[in-house]
Amino acid sequence: MRYLVLWGMALLLAVVAPGGYAGVDERLAPLAESDWTRAHAAHLLERAGFGGTPREVDRLAALGPRAAVRYLVNFDGAPPVTLPPFEHSGIFDEGLDPFPPSRPATTKLATETGAALGIAVRSGGNRPLQPIVNKFFYWLRASRLETDRVAQWWADRMLRSPRPLQEKMALFWHGHFATSEDKVRDYRKMLQQLELFQRAGLGNFRTLLIAVAQDPAMLAYLDAGVNVKGSPNENFAREIMELFTMGVGNYSEHDIREAARAFTGWNFVGTEFHVDPAKHDDEPKTFLGETGDFDGVDVIDRILAHPATPAFVAAKLYRFFVREELDPALEAALAQRLVELDYELTPFLEMLFLSRDFHAGAARGTRIKSPVEFVVSTYRKLGLDDLPGAPDFNLVTGALGQRLMHPPTVAGWSYGRSWITPSLLIERGNFALDLVFPDIEFIPEDRYPVYPTGDEIRAVHRRLRAGADITTATRPVEADMATDGETMMTAMSNQVDHEEAFNTRYGSYRGWQMAIERVKPIERDLPRIDLAQMVLSAELATPRAVVDYFVARFFSVPLDEPTCQMLADAFARELGSDDVLANASSLEEPLRVLLHLVLSRPEYQLG
Amino acid sequence: MSTRRDFLKRGAAVGALAVTAGAPPRLRAAGDERILVVFELSGGNDGLNTIVPFGDDAYYRLRPTIGLARDDLLVLDEHFGMNPGLAGMHRLWDDGRLAIVHGCGYDNPSYSHFTSMAYWHTAAPNSGDTYGWVGRLADALAPEPSTNFLINIDGAQSLAVTSRVHTPVVFDDPERFQRLALPRERALLEHVAGAPTGNAARDYLNMVAASANEASTQVREACRDYATPVDYGLLPAQLDKVAACIHAGLPTRLYYLAFRNNAFDTHVQQRDLHQRLLTYASDAVAGFLADLERIGAADRVAVLMFSEFGRRAGENTNRGTDHGTANVMFVAGKGVRGGHYGMPPDLTDLDDTDNLRHTVDFRRVYASAIDGWMQPGASETVLKGRFETFPLFA
Repeated sequence: MRYLVLWGMALLLAVVAPGGYAGVDERLAPLAESDWTRAHAAHLLERAGFGGTPREVDRLAALGPRAAVRYLVNFDGAPPVTLPPFEHSGIFDEGLDPFPPSRPATTKLATETGAALGIAVRSGGNRPLQPIVNKFFYWLRASRLETDRVAQWWADRMLRSPRPLQEKMALFWHGHFATSEDKVRDYRKMLQQLELFQRAGLGNFRTLLIAVAQDPAMLAYLDAGVNVKGSPNENFAREIMELFTMGVGNYSEHDIREAARAFTGWNFVGTEFHVDPAKHDDEPKTFLGETGDFDGVDVIDRILAHPATPAFVAAKLYRFFVREELDPALEAALAQRLVELDYELTPFLEMLFLSRDFHAGAARGTRIKSPVEFVVSTYRKLGLDDLPGAPDFNLVTGALGQRLMHPPTVAGWSYGRSWITPSLLIERGNFALDLVFPDIEFIPEDRYPVYPTGDEIRAVHRRLRAGADITTATRPVEADMATDGETMMTAMSNQVDHEEAFNTRYGSYRGWQMAIERVKPIERDLPRIDLAQMVLSAELATPRAVVDYFVARFFSVPLDEPTCQMLADAFARELGSDDVLANASSLEEPLRVLLHLVLSRPEYQLG
Repeated sequence: MSTRRDFLKRGAAVGALAVTAGAPPRLRAAGDERILVVFELSGGNDGLNTIVPFGDDAYYRLRPTIGLARDDLLVLDEHFGMNPGLAGMHRLWDDGRLAIVHGCGYDNPSYSHFTSMAYWHTAAPNSGDTYGWVGRLADALAPEPSTNFLINIDGAQSLAVTSRVHTPVVFDDPERFQRLALPRERALLEHVAGAPTGNAARDYLNMVAASANEASTQVREACRDYATPVDYGLLPAQLDKVAACIHAGLPTRLYYLAFRNNAFDTHVQQRDLHQRLLTYASDAVAGFLADLERIGAADRVAVLMFSEFGRRAGENTNRGTDHGTANVMFVAGKGVRGGHYGMPPDLTDLDDTDNLRHTVDFRRVYASAIDGWMQPGASETVLKGRFETFPLFA
């Protein structure tokens, strides 16, 4: 507490707040009721959720600022979430736990102990380890596909939940405590971590931080298993300070080593947190200037008491929900509020979303939507009532740079301008096209092996079915070179089936087959859009009125006059007329062309 | 027969182990600026069967069936020979245009393709960064955003080129680097509001939209108009497109491309496959440099080649190799001072996972390319630390 007291005093001296709000910064004072407009309500719904239909914005606007914020943040008056929990395909069995770190480790274990992954090594015949290798690849593939289903389930909640901030906050924490299935390789742990973020993401930061430090997905991701007494691994200790709480420059390498010692022995068994006392180093540690027999929770408490932590966390929340630019005085004021609130996140966000700063012109329509926000908010604004299976949510957001459950590194995603490159901007427009004119060449990758080893798997499949032995069938496929029947037959005649313990490539093929047999397919229903109904029920008579309606419904910023006129002219050309109502029975296709043009605008990326 | 110790002695004699940087590059006029091409071999290239230490008996003990005999190699000296697939790069070696840096890796290595590649992309091993090292280099070279400064030829953007300032141009097939649209929509889709709005993010989006139109047109036209008699081999690995962009005078100073799809992940029956992969990569690089010579750009361009890890020192039971650690890196170009650099790992002193111990932090090679070729003194900022450089450039 010593740090906090000193630091709090320094703050009070440093921050000048004439006529101030709670002694801090006027910009955090609540927006006056009289300043509240429908545009403020739309802005709030966009940031504290994923946007919504005109009717949802109207409802929120009618509540006034305080009640609107309490509805979205505290869920006062919001319906309970009745959406179904994740429906497991049933791909796991006990033999898979603990899952060895690699294929060589699996076959080594099998060779040494006579069994692995719940399967005994065959006593005779060629490839006695093959069933074990098949199962290894089965789980890699099945867990990956099931994780895609988890992401799909989550995105559906973002779209449908009456409490969207719960999901938005989970998205924030997923980027903050970035953990990837690529390394965790267990959808159960990924789901469990997501459910933690959904459940506790709006609670207390200390509680959340401890839960994350004891979360099996995080423990697996940051190598807890090898952080043991006498041989500490610094991965988690470094990241908790650098990326999760304090930021670089506030601690020493020595602090990292000492913190790593405090976390020794923390690991998981199955999907449960587990401390192994024999692997825990209970000798004294000196951390951030204090000495004691610290364990992980003691280290976390010392981190939370350090003044860099509230500043780091508050600034990250601000940049996610409000805007990129944050001056030191406002950062200090936000940090102080977080400390005064004892790291309670809901009242902090309530204060933030009600603040004049959040509602200032500089904050509205100035944030570039992340790919997940871009897709979900498009669906919300269209009024879809469930997540389409095509376009595939994970492929679209992945191509745009944000694949859920697969953040690029432990540092998470870099928000803001880095979402946009020339080709990614074009790609966002191409998503809008697929939305209104479905891609009939779409191939679901949860059935058909594509990237990165799909060519290989399909080649093995074809060769086996053409009568090749396993050695011949698993001959490497050269990158980017098609295998035609003739060269294949020539190659087949030149080979003999090898005697071997197992064949990795065959295992990869069988693993794929076994995985698609078990993992439930994602339904590939297309978005059902009825733009004609939308336009007719809003009683829009002219092309220009239609354009203005689309801009108001989908955009966070107004479009300039020439662009609106250009779009109206284009729509009139598609329609062959200036009279919308006279063409009521053939509106749909021209409206879809118009919506594609509108949603492809660079301005549409702003939220 | 020669030993590792002999190599080290000779290395010291020719300055291969020296750590001082070469002479700083002279200042360049616009349009005459130096270019760095980073070429990733994805999947984990087997360095030991790429630059083969045939002079070391331990190599043959580790690799009884997939080890390459001296007679099969393109011999470099008394200790090392190149994989027979590397004919193109062997010519570069003979011309003194190929630097081989031995023993590159990092502490506490990851054996995951994904994780290790992210470490190489961000130059932040056992950590992470939101921007890639090539992106950060772009930010250091040009602090203001500019169109086509940084090109990544691939289906998806690499973490390596993620930049705070610049918007990397990412394309795969230049003909498809354009909007999908009905013909009558096209002009409308390319319409961008030009006037400043006072909203910085909005102005930024408009600028990117305008540059998307411009960049996609420039790149498409550059590639469409380019014809070359030079043979890049069976898989040019997009290097011909880089030549096309350079020839068309694009202002690009950094190119990033990859030999894709984890191709070098040679776990099984690797010998013929690995040799073919090296042939493709090496023919493409040699063809590229020959083509640059033809168009008069050879002295402006250097190529840096890397892979996310090397492979296990010993072969596995499938006549392949599993994920490993230390590896060779290559830097090629007319301005390169050819030779061996770094220190080959000791094949008789493996770590407890039977892997090579690295001798060179890979970021030293990045630092050498940054300071020695692109901008003297920039490496400390870009790599967020000071790394000793090798005098790789003449």
